[in-house]
Amino acid sequence: MEYFSLKRSNAADRGQANLSSKIYVRSTKSGKVQKIVRELYLRQDIPCSSNLCRACLDIAPTDYSKKVAPFVLSDTPAGSKDYPNGQYLVPDTNAFLTGMDLFEVETAFHDVIVLQTVLEEVKNRSLPLYHRLIALTKNEGKRFYVFFNEFRQETHVPRDAGETINDRNDRAVRKAVEWYNHHITEAIAARSKKQKRIPTVIMITDDRDNLRKAEKEKVPAVTLTGYVNGLENADELLDMMSSAQEQREVRSKKTEVFYPDHYSISKMMTGVKAGTMHQGIFNVSTYNYLEGSVHVPAFDKSLLILGRENSNRAVSGDVVVLEVLPRDQWKAPSTKILEEETLNKNDNAEAEDGENVISEKERKALQEEVKRVHGQTAEGKPQPTARIVGIAKRNWRQYVGHIDRDSVRSSSKTSRQQQTVFLVPMDKRIPKIRIRTRQAGELLGQRILATIDSWDKDSRYPVGHFVRSLGELESKGAETEALLLEYDVQYKPFPKTVLDCLPAEGHDWIVPASLENPGWKGRRDLRDLLVCSIDPVGCVDIDDALHAQKLPNGNFAVGVHIADVSHFVKPNNAMDKEASQRGTTVYLVDKRIDMLPMLLGTDLCSLKPYVERYAFSVLWEITPDADIVSSEFTKSVIRSREAFSYEQAQIRIDDKSQQDDLTNGMRTLLMLSKKLKQKRMDAGALNLASPEVKVQTESETSDPVDVQTKKLLDTNSLVEEFMLLANISVAARNYEAFPQTALLRRHAAPPKTNFEELTNQLKIKRNLELKTDSSKALADSLDTCVDSGNPFFNTLVRIMATRCMMSAEYFCAGTQAYPEFTHYGLASEIYTHFTSPIRRYADLEAHRQLAAAIEYEQLDPSLQSKAKLEAVCKNINVRHRNAQNAGRASIEYYVGQALKGKDIQEDGFIMKIFSNGFVVFVPRFGIESLIRLRDLATPEPEADFDPENYILNVKGDVKRRVELFEKVQVRITDEVEVSTGKRKVRLTLV
Amino acid sequence: MAPQQAALVNLSPAELSFLRSSLAQTPPIRLDVTKGPRDFRSMRAEYDVLPGANGSARIALEDGTEALVGVKAEVERSPQRPSLGAHGEDVDMGDEDVDESTGKGQNGWVEMSVEVPGFREDDSLPVFLASMLKESLLASGELKDRLYINARFHWKLYVDVLLLSPALSYPLALLSMTTHLALLTTDLPALKSEKDEDPLFDDDWDAAVPLYPKTAGKTTTDKPPVIILAMAVGPNIIFDPCKEELAVADAVLAVACTNTSSSSTGARIVSIRTIDPPSHLTPPGIPNSMNSATGGTAPTSSADALTQRELLASSGVWTPPRGGMKRNLISQVTKMVVESGGIAEEVISALAAIEVG
Repeated sequence: MEYFSLKRSNAADRGQANLSSKIYVRSTKSGKVQKIVRELYLRQDIPCSSNLCRACLDIAPTDYSKKVAPFVLSDTPAGSKDYPNGQYLVPDTNAFLTGMDLFEVETAFHDVIVLQTVLEEVKNRSLPLYHRLIALTKNEGKRFYVFFNEFRQETHVPRDAGETINDRNDRAVRKAVEWYNHHITEAIAARSKKQKRIPTVIMITDDRDNLRKAEKEKVPAVTLTGYVNGLENADELLDMMSSAQEQREVRSKKTEVFYPDHYSISKMMTGVKAGTMHQGIFNVSTYNYLEGSVHVPAFDKSLLILGRENSNRAVSGDVVVLEVLPRDQWKAPSTKILEEETLNKNDNAEAEDGENVISEKERKALQEEVKRVHGQTAEGKPQPTARIVGIAKRNWRQYVGHIDRDSVRSSSKTSRQQQTVFLVPMDKRIPKIRIRTRQAGELLGQRILATIDSWDKDSRYPVGHFVRSLGELESKGAETEALLLEYDVQYKPFPKTVLDCLPAEGHDWIVPASLENPGWKGRRDLRDLLVCSIDPVGCVDIDDALHAQKLPNGNFAVGVHIADVSHFVKPNNAMDKEASQRGTTVYLVDKRIDMLPMLLGTDLCSLKPYVERYAFSVLWEITPDADIVSSEFTKSVIRSREAFSYEQAQIRIDDKSQQDDLTNGMRTLLMLSKKLKQKRMDAGALNLASPEVKVQTESETSDPVDVQTKKLLDTNSLVEEFMLLANISVAARNYEAFPQTALLRRHAAPPKTNFEELTNQLKIKRNLELKTDSSKALADSLDTCVDSGNPFFNTLVRIMATRCMMSAEYFCAGTQAYPEFTHYGLASEIYTHFTSPIRRYADLEAHRQLAAAIEYEQLDPSLQSKAKLEAVCKNINVRHRNAQNAGRASIEYYVGQALKGKDIQEDGFIMKIFSNGFVVFVPRFGIESLIRLRDLATPEPEADFDPENYILNVKGDVKRRVELFEKVQVRITDEVEVSTGKRKVRLTLV
Repeated sequence: MAPQQAALVNLSPAELSFLRSSLAQTPPIRLDVTKGPRDFRSMRAEYDVLPGANGSARIALEDGTEALVGVKAEVERSPQRPSLGAHGEDVDMGDEDVDESTGKGQNGWVEMSVEVPGFREDDSLPVFLASMLKESLLASGELKDRLYINARFHWKLYVDVLLLSPALSYPLALLSMTTHLALLTTDLPALKSEKDEDPLFDDDWDAAVPLYPKTAGKTTTDKPPVIILAMAVGPNIIFDPCKEELAVADAVLAVACTNTSSSSTGARIVSIRTIDPPSHLTPPGIPNSMNSATGGTAPTSSADALTQRELLASSGVWTPPRGGMKRNLISQVTKMVVESGGIAEEVISALAAIEVG
């Protein structure tokens, strides 16, 4: 009987040598479970990528230009004591997981072969580490090569029956190392008979079983520690290893447990689906480190998490799953300031026995809280509290901080003894991190970057490891870098691939003279218009320029011209990708971190005066009453006549003797802008305030010399009004053209509950009513919030109202209904960002969409996909917020520096009252600082807190009544904290 | 009801008569003279032929009949039914030893479809075959209980039976054996979640657990049932009849059996069904004596016709058999199937050997 089998050969019986398969189970989101069979076609043309090997050069696949990708591994790799002939390193997965920071060191770890097996395992275990590893492989200097061992026939290892996946992967690594050694030896033999220096390929692993097997199979292998010990700066490097593993071994003896177990993933999933548990992002209060809140979709208000036990090892930023606690455990949010630094000062980092999750002091503080809540009448407002039962996703990053001096046992610089110390993160919401180091003495007084490795249920604090030192505390370089790291700002120089996307002419690029040039296609020649730009002093990236002209019919032709960045940055090239990652330019006091390379931002795109530049113009016909008759969009070429600063422009407008066309054009613009603003205000736009100050720095050293509050001139609002107008016009046009994918910006109306507290405070303290039904009502009632004796009161209320608002966000038109598009603050139905493409990625995208809308060019597919745009929006929203925070933090730091060694008395206002302190805002410096009761006198005076009336009665010698909104005189000094060596601005009541 | 035969047997009444009388001899002489009454036709079998399915098997008979079976399992949400009174639960609380899945399976959790070339899926043959196969699968109740995951979820088992060739002989036994082998080699992803949580599975296929657990040591676990076709001709019982033999059968019996849970030998019957042999359908010829055209006298009534035919039956001329199966014949068949070292044990162990070897 003729008989054919239907069976495909698979891993079990390998009919063909170049075919293998892999079988696994995939669970889909909808709960389906699928068996997946992947067939694998093995090849022999995957090169070893060593410059020693000629054979691979011949077989390696070529790209479209018939070129082989350049080989990575050096032909003379560095050697060591044991392997003097040089070595290629093949780390296993755990080596990367525990020692990623080591591999990133510039001075060691070159010529590393990253196996595909290892890379995939790293990806499964930790995505951030995977990204860092990928970044390493792209770093040419480090010579990391990804070898696809699973696809190469010689190194492919099918899984044996009954073998665990870990064992199989270990075997695959050993097999690859073995093959590499064999291959390199052969390659050298083929190259020359004389050459004796044959580099060894060494596996790096900490797995004992793996090491034993390697020894048996005669595969060269070494432990990570063993390898590092052979290097020069071993001490520093050893600190950079993750401590998670080591600690586990040490601690496994003890069974004491401080925190409850986290639930299993399936249990959490079921709970969240069923609605009995909730998922959200854990946010810790900046005032009280023991209090966190989680906003979950099921409720309007956030759920409170009180105490360490309930927060169960969650770190601010983690996505957590929680359970609501029974009603009798509900509490009002804390009115007390709790700072970890002061409360747990005396914790010993080394001692682990007898430590409780809640220290005695913490417990006391919590008890007082409870008492206070219980003392309240029924109308007191206990809020639902919850307890964290599991963590859906850790969002741990690298944290900047300093070593707690008190936790260091011996600070001698020469001692190389390993000790455990605490790292106090800069971000107050992050708990102290326990770190093992051999260089405690040197690290004292330095800004340090560290990561969290693990947080076991038997450890009160998370365990982490040292990454690198940024430099001395308070030094400008270290503090700036710390800021950028803390706010996740990408500040490394642009890689070469990005710079390759720049025009080849460099700074010599000019608008082509010939109108026949393709660059002129579809562009209008607006060079004869009297265009000028108005920007802050010293601005070099000029995004926008304006012009105005009277028309014969009495109306005005007004134009806003925006730098045509989309001409230079084409979608999906390396520069575009980098820009979309960075999302925005970040402005610090002394530094600007660009979104686009300098050449574009400050020269080719920048609408500099006296030269021709490509622009994207919005042209309107506007009546003298500032009604828009028509609007038009076009790509253009302009020549700016002058670049003014706000002050210069103001002076020129005010100078009656200047009667040239340019100045008159600006006067027209000013006149129209005032009318536009009035219209906006009538429609209910909010005039909000945020404390803005400007730091004057010395031009050369950029040391701060003075702090000024920002002055607002008419010309500021001139530019602002026309930019708003342009943005609104473009938003409407883009939405019309792309109702699904237009990139817009919205500012949601804040929920009423956000204003509850402020409304209540105003009512009680000033008998004022804050109406929050609509933005118009809010704008009107904010205008009535005045205090004749206190001109700043109105601004103060506006600042506080601003904090109740939602933050504006970018979104993709198809994801929201039209009524949700509204920009609450601007009272506009629709809005986008269009006017600053040099410094914001959203504007660049809007430019591309507008260009397609006016049929100037085809729309890139990436801008037609809702999913891709949503991802872009998500990223730029985060980047935008981070950039703002980084900018603010930078100003804060410089204000602190400007006040160094000074002793000033200033007016301040009380913004918030706690039972053991209050927050004072000093408008002169834009600083907001906490004054605790214990700062008023020692010993800490007793005080009566009346939360209903926002009054704190301080008893004792001080004998003073402090109430909300009160104007107080404060004395500003700075002091150096002994424990941290950190200088702080200190406020005291006068 | 009688299954419609796909290919009619093209034998003359004389040939049929010859075949029948040789089968009725002692010992019987089968169409394939090398085979005894208990012998099965030789076959080739393999399993795991469909990589994407949870279990699969294919069996080809020497006459070219070939069947392919794929088993797919999907997680399905069980409709929540309000519990009938809480008191029932209290009783359950006490004994933890009882496997909670016992008795919770439902017949709807197994879906079976049979495809035979040349037939629509709602034709009687595929429907009849499917219901016979499904009936035997569900009869013992162990399979459906095994599909229980928790109170909210269960596995839904899709058994797709495909006859790859035209039905050259009555395919029930072949399909049943193929299904048996497919189910025997079916694996379900290993469950990681506990209790009534949303099910979460181990993503390692190698960790998957067999639907029918393998025999561990001496304790035997149950196996999927297999249907054995037996036919009776006169006093003789013949197993695994071919198409022509079926055409002259007095009676046909489909016996579904599975291994006994108590001992490793013998088998137990899960279900049993008689099948109308196709011979009942062959139109009887009219003997000359009853044909007025050939000089005979036509019977006056149908009762008269029956009597006359009865008398002719032993005359050597082919007459289709009538009536049911004799009781002692049935007990004889069941005994031969079930007894230690009987047909069922032989078939089941032979199929199991395919998987092991």
